[in-house]
Amino acid sequence: MNVNLNKREPVYLQVIRHFKEQIATKRLEPGQEIPSRRELANQLKINPNTAQRAYKEMEEQGLIYTEGNSPSKITKDEKVLGAVREELIGQAIDSFIAAIRPIDVPLDEVVGLIQEKYKGDKA
Amino acid sequence: MIEAKELKKRFGRKQILNGVSFTANKGEITCLIGINGVGKTTILKGIMNLTPMDSGQILIDGEKMSKDMYEKITFIPDAITMIPTMTIAEAMQFMQDYYKSWNQARATELLRFFKLKQEEKISSLSKGNTAKVNLLLGLALDVDYLLMDEPFSGIDIFSREQIADVFTSHLVEDRGVVITTHEINDIEHLIDKVVLLDNGVVLKEFRTEEMREDEGKSVVDVMREVYRG
Repeated sequence: MNVNLNKREPVYLQVIRHFKEQIATKRLEPGQEIPSRRELANQLKINPNTAQRAYKEMEEQGLIYTEGNSPSKITKDEKVLGAVREELIGQAIDSFIAAIRPIDVPLDEVVGLIQEKYKGDKA
Repeated sequence: MIEAKELKKRFGRKQILNGVSFTANKGEITCLIGINGVGKTTILKGIMNLTPMDSGQILIDGEKMSKDMYEKITFIPDAITMIPTMTIAEAMQFMQDYYKSWNQARATELLRFFKLKQEEKISSLSKGNTAKVNLLLGLALDVDYLLMDEPFSGIDIFSREQIADVFTSHLVEDRGVVITTHEINDIEHLIDKVVLLDNGVVLKEFRTEEMREDEGKSVVDVMREVYRG
């Protein structure tokens, strides 16, 4: 696991976003075990208290669940999983629009450019 | 919790500490930041009662410092205090003889973690490895609080990374750590709390995640405001 953390945003939120990305792209599958809090802290070089906070928050949001003493796992709840994907797409679109709007490009042109680039990048 | 209240200390004409107050919690990493000569080391030595304060009070879990407290809190100075002709094994033996809280199992684990050989002489070690041995001797004590003076200064990047790794491991977890530094950059994500010092007083005391959450500022951003603003 490798994450570029920025220094101005709460680390726990960055950790949660990272997990959401992994979930949305199916790199973390429903029911899959995730590292312990300490393992995560060690992997990401973050404070163990911060890892703890990220997990607590994810648990509250229903992204992960813990049964008894076994390791936490990614939720199998289809509704939550779908919402994560939608949320990420929504955020990406919002920040794109925020960036492109000041340049005042007609929508048709933007869409055309996106189509062109998007296909080009994938190939 | 370590509580420092209104610490004052004068060396000759110079008022080094002029009413320093802050707290450091157990299970957290608290970082004292300030330029050289601002009194960071004096504060740590004051907590350990190695340098008597002119006035003020220091409480550790509500108690005043006493001889028995040296089994509960330890100070890792910025340079190793062992005799250079000793091997690492002898230095560990020395610690075991003097401290009830010495934990050899943990020391052995740290040796492995830092890839050190216990038969090596301290005088023959590189700067980075000397710093690691110094850290090992303190971390292997089963104490609740660790005070570390500049654990990152003057060593190579890989040694720094290795030392930073210790902070995210069970070797430090659950203990209260106070470190001093003037190079915050690569450890921003590791620390819970920052105490900014200058001219013998605390300019600002804040929690790093709260600062990012409430004001969107990094530790360095806050330092820039406080020291240069």
